[in-house]
Amino acid sequence: MLAAIVIAVIKMLVLFAVLMLFVAYGTLAERKVSGHIQDRLGPLYCGSHGFLQPFADGLKLFFKEDIVARESDKFLYFLAPMIAVVPAILAIGVIPFGESITLFGRKIYLVMTDINVALLYLLAVSSFSVYTIVFGGWSANSKYPLLGGLRSAAQFISYELILGLSIMGVIMIVGSFSLVDIVHYQKGMWMVVYQPLAFIIYMVAATAELNRLPFDLPEAESELVGGYHTEYSSMKFAMFFLGEYANMVITSAVAVCLFLGGWYSPVPFLSWVPGPIWFVVKLVAVFFFLLWLRWTYPRFRYDQLMGFSWKYLLPLALVNILATGGVMIFLQGGI
Amino acid sequence: MIGPLLKGLRVTFGHLLKPSVTVKYPYEKREVAERYRGRHILKLDEDGRERCCACGMCEEICPADAIKLYGKEDPEFKYSDVGKYAEYYVIDYARCIFCGLCVDSCPRGAIEMTQDYELTVPGPGRINLIKDKGWLLEKRGGE
Repeated sequence: MLAAIVIAVIKMLVLFAVLMLFVAYGTLAERKVSGHIQDRLGPLYCGSHGFLQPFADGLKLFFKEDIVARESDKFLYFLAPMIAVVPAILAIGVIPFGESITLFGRKIYLVMTDINVALLYLLAVSSFSVYTIVFGGWSANSKYPLLGGLRSAAQFISYELILGLSIMGVIMIVGSFSLVDIVHYQKGMWMVVYQPLAFIIYMVAATAELNRLPFDLPEAESELVGGYHTEYSSMKFAMFFLGEYANMVITSAVAVCLFLGGWYSPVPFLSWVPGPIWFVVKLVAVFFFLLWLRWTYPRFRYDQLMGFSWKYLLPLALVNILATGGVMIFLQGGI
Repeated sequence: MIGPLLKGLRVTFGHLLKPSVTVKYPYEKREVAERYRGRHILKLDEDGRERCCACGMCEEICPADAIKLYGKEDPEFKYSDVGKYAEYYVIDYARCIFCGLCVDSCPRGAIEMTQDYELTVPGPGRINLIKDKGWLLEKRGGE
């Protein structure tokens, strides 16, 4: 019993530390990739090739003046940055990053907890992140955050739905909500091969959920200054930032688990490489794809965003579910 | 529909691999053009005397009003070969627009522009940007 608790606490700490490390170096990766795509260099002098830049940024934000908007709704204004990182930290609990290892004669599964409704849980906590933006936008009593909050409320509701529908096909094929079961199913072949349309829809909806270009309407810099976090400074701003990147890491991890074979190697002759390494490699690849998207596509107009969601993605997701069901029935030889 | 999207991704990925155009300025410096208009220099003649005869053409033509000078007689031809030289010659680099009209207007080729563009000065205020003759005058070896 005691050993189980110790193992759980250690797993928790390691996962949290790794998540924060990914967040820190996610910001650096964002800046380096942005720089190189624009033929610049990005951060260069803080450590070798900007390697210590995340820590310098953190220190800088920590010592910035902490501004509180005077006419703001104080309770929600302080609550919003507090809950910014919560969804990501909650979500990491169900993400499996490897099979199992044996330490001191004890089999340790490389997942915090394998609950049988992991995907439902993930969808539930990820929709929690809308509160961060809505609270932040509506409590600051300022026009730009308000507009950002309004936009994001509509955007989240539309794309949450599509995110849920896009993974329905995967659940139908595997027949389980557990992420571990889903990854086990992909030992031979990645899910993206069976569900290419679902993968595309998932990536689009996830990008919209993350407020990243081309769907970054809640914080569209050129229109809304900073969007929902315009009135935040110092560590409160840093919390929003942390939350955004943590959500990016989680979304990439979920994409890897659902569609890209989790910790399994893509080719059999490389299966001697440990699972967690494959998991991290795939995660970084998906993360890079999100950065890559940002510098490729321009921002959607607001009505286009809504139209794209309800007129194209929703029918496509439904068709995907129907087609998956139809093929499954056909393969089973009738109902 | 997917084709153009992939094409866009290819373009940005191409730029990711391209070498960057950044010049790491304080560590590596750009070559400037041969006729680059940088800071001024007051030329000396073959005998090491100043070419400037304090005619004031540069002060007159300067559109930014950056040059101030006044001359002094020099009967012994010690400083100049025409018997008059600029005792006081100041260029205010906070005003100078580096147009080069002073160089064009100079009848004796006494003022020229160099390729040196590093004119930043320490401290607040613009007093350090006002350069006097000691700084502007061409330096010869052994002086």
